[in-house]
Amino acid sequence: MAKTLDKVKSFFKSIGRWFKSLVCTIDGREAKLLTIYHKPATKSIISSLISIFVGILLGGLILLIISITSGGKISLKAVWEGFRLIFIGVFNTGRDTNGNITFGFNSTNIGNVLFRATPLILTGLSVAVAFKTGLFNIGAPGQYLMGTAVTFIVALSIPTTIVPAWIVWILSFVAGFLAGALWGVIPGVFKAFLNVHEVITCIMTNWIAANIVTSLFDNNKGIFKHLLDPSPTKNLAYLYKTTENGVVTSKMGLDVLFPGSQVNGGIIIAIVIAIIVYIILNKTTFGYELKACGSNRHAAKYAGINEKRSIILSMAIAGGLAGMSAALYYLSGNTEFYWSTYQSLPANGFNGIPIALLAYNNPVGVIFSGIFMSYLNVAGLQLKNLTPFNEYITDIIIASIVYLSAFSLAFKEILNGNFFKRKKNKLFLENSQENSTKPKIIKEEESK
Amino acid sequence: MENYVIEMRNITKIFPGVVANDDITLELKQGEIHALLGENGAGKSTLMSVLFGLYQPESGEIYKNGEKVTIKGPNDANRLGIGMVHQHYKLVDIFSVLDNIILGAETTKHGFLRKKEAREKVIALSEKYKLHVDVDALIEDITVGMQQRVEILKMLYRDNEILIFDEPTAVLTPQEIEELMETMRGFKEEGKSILFITHKLNEIMAVADRCTVLRKGKGIGTVNIKDTSIEELSEMMVGRKVSFVVEKQPEKIGRTILRVEDLTVASKKHKNNAIKNISFDVKSGEIVCLAGIEGNGQTEFVQALTGLEKVASGKIELNNQDITHASIRKRSKLGMSHIPEDRHKYGLILDFRLEQNLVLQRYWEPKFQKHGFIDNQSVREYAEELIEKYDVRSGEGAVTIVRSMSGGNQQKAIIAREIDRNPDLLVAFQPTRGLDVGAIEYIHKQLVGQRDEGKAVLLISLELDEVMNVSDRILVMYEGEIVGEFDPKEVTTQELGLYMAGAKRDRREKPNG
Repeated sequence: MAKTLDKVKSFFKSIGRWFKSLVCTIDGREAKLLTIYHKPATKSIISSLISIFVGILLGGLILLIISITSGGKISLKAVWEGFRLIFIGVFNTGRDTNGNITFGFNSTNIGNVLFRATPLILTGLSVAVAFKTGLFNIGAPGQYLMGTAVTFIVALSIPTTIVPAWIVWILSFVAGFLAGALWGVIPGVFKAFLNVHEVITCIMTNWIAANIVTSLFDNNKGIFKHLLDPSPTKNLAYLYKTTENGVVTSKMGLDVLFPGSQVNGGIIIAIVIAIIVYIILNKTTFGYELKACGSNRHAAKYAGINEKRSIILSMAIAGGLAGMSAALYYLSGNTEFYWSTYQSLPANGFNGIPIALLAYNNPVGVIFSGIFMSYLNVAGLQLKNLTPFNEYITDIIIASIVYLSAFSLAFKEILNGNFFKRKKNKLFLENSQENSTKPKIIKEEESK
Repeated sequence: MENYVIEMRNITKIFPGVVANDDITLELKQGEIHALLGENGAGKSTLMSVLFGLYQPESGEIYKNGEKVTIKGPNDANRLGIGMVHQHYKLVDIFSVLDNIILGAETTKHGFLRKKEAREKVIALSEKYKLHVDVDALIEDITVGMQQRVEILKMLYRDNEILIFDEPTAVLTPQEIEELMETMRGFKEEGKSILFITHKLNEIMAVADRCTVLRKGKGIGTVNIKDTSIEELSEMMVGRKVSFVVEKQPEKIGRTILRVEDLTVASKKHKNNAIKNISFDVKSGEIVCLAGIEGNGQTEFVQALTGLEKVASGKIELNNQDITHASIRKRSKLGMSHIPEDRHKYGLILDFRLEQNLVLQRYWEPKFQKHGFIDNQSVREYAEELIEKYDVRSGEGAVTIVRSMSGGNQQKAIIAREIDRNPDLLVAFQPTRGLDVGAIEYIHKQLVGQRDEGKAVLLISLELDEVMNVSDRILVMYEGEIVGEFDPKEVTTQELGLYMAGAKRDRREKPNG
């Protein structure tokens, strides 16, 4: 008994010591919280948070300006409500009988945030992986479109009456991945063998993809027009939905957690993929090669790494991730695809760029920045529904956060203390002047 | 109280994070050659840039002939009679020599250039000081030596009385250096004052009257050259005693490790081949040095040898295996190590941690990975072992980001990595470039250590001292060809210089056996 009592005591003591070590300097080792603060990752997170915060404040300022210039049509109360909605709009539960906005757990909103985050996380990963290898994958929209097209072709042309729906689901998901990967390889090959800048080829392949996809699903002459349900009611709008063939992503129990929302298992798949990408980049020899190429192509070559192979593979992975993004978005069952939509490029593809930037290209960070972007989207909808403002305010906020995320490097410098170095040097200078005057005084005394 | 033509009093210049000049005082007498000595990063060039008006000091004063002056830019400096030959020449490549000399000090009439007068003045100056230049040639077509003479003429054309030379001898052959010294002595006799920046001690002993030594941004002292010695100067410069003699045992030459046969490499810059039919071999237990002036094909040769560039024709054999077209990885596996010329471009991934850089060619070995996953534990242990063994100093040990390390320690890390792979052939291209005396001493010891262990070492060097001290056999390269082979014990630097400048060449036979 006494022994177990001792064990319990020492256990609690060690816990106490651990907490103390968080905040106090023990045996010359600095407090753990300080150590954590000094880690570069912590500083990245804090500086991203600062840019988010400043971005949202800017959004509030815009609300205020709109209110002032509206000539009294929009009250200051509405501004305050709007400001709160931008911050915690996802948690609003409508208005109570007095007309005040109430807040609480809103399962529909939270579920929708996760649903909308799914494609954003994956395109964010697509851009981040390419960045790690020193490439700017601005071709995510094109890869996303190719992924969309091929996913629909596979999901709608294999009849679920013969092949089980879950097998068709896997086939369409893989097909979407491969289509995106192939579309990513094209700029990769041009970069590796001909040294053509990937931004140029990516922009061109984007528009090639847009035109290919439009022509494939065109309501007059599209080759895959027949995939539409022949019943005339559905045919009118020319909307393609995978549910027509019964191919839908499993809910994985999330519908129980967030009833009334569009959430499905896609978000879990996206998070797992993000973690896999993190492991590949940081723990494997393959990731080491990719990052070496991205950081210094010449040194990678010098070390015997096949840098052409690395560039092509990195673009293939980036493209594949964008393709998977499209696959998960359209296999969700909540979404439909209208052929002529894609005479423009999909926003989901381009949004990968700010998401990757905000996460400093860290795959795990992308999960959070992706969810944050969709959080702002949903908050924007609340703003539109509950206040006189429209949802485009949140687009302005996102834009300013993206803009500020470029400044987040400066925030990081401030956190590192480099920003104020000059002032410190001036202090140093004053000290050194004091030192230099001292010997002279001594000399004067000697001469006396 | 003596009369100084220039006095810089208590100059302090700060760059973000670095105090480049900390309370430095420099006094230049009329008609003297005053050397400014210090290691790389000691603050010599910064101090001269302050004098030339390129930087404004945070504190301190400059006096000319006892009068306080402020120099806000090169034009102010010129007005005060201060001229400077920069380390990297400031010349317009596509202009003629004459245009370059008058640039910024043109004589004009009604807005039109009066080149005829300028031309006569330049020719007169060039004859007076025996500075031979071709006034109508374009800068891009003339030799480095002549470009330097153009820079000197620029100062004379502006009637400068105080001449600053920033590391003028780095790119010259021994003969050209001797000529430059003679020119400097001529200026001195005329009453001009010269500030001579260098880290080469024998040049200071040969030509300077006094010498001011800087170390880590601080002024260590000023000495009369008559009363001092090379040893004392180097101790002032480095802060400790330095050995200049590379201690070597007699070589024990063994089997052939590297054989190069009729190697030809195309040039990227011009249509001619950069390397023309060269043949030689390197045996185990010897240091073979490829000497030559920069730009005579050394870079192209090493890139072809190590697999960074393609070979046009010929054959390279390592340990009796043909590696002419082998991949870099294969060459490395067969026992070739390479200390690259440009350590930032090729040698290191600056944003990686030190440990990641130390396994740059070995991360795929079974020791460091399992099933494609890097074994961080064994990488860390290996890195710490190397850091300890080769005395690589850094802020945070194995996890230091390499960018934050000093140049000397970055180079030590490369050397640790390359030597510890236990290669049969070590290719070292300018391994001591830009390093201070202490680090140079260390690297020479490591090279000789490799040789004594029976490894073959191929050293490519532009520094004659290094060539003479370290090597067992010298091959001189000129315009992509090997023009002479020497034993360092039997040849003089003057002789080598003639070969390096292309003035002499031997007909070499292919090595047999």
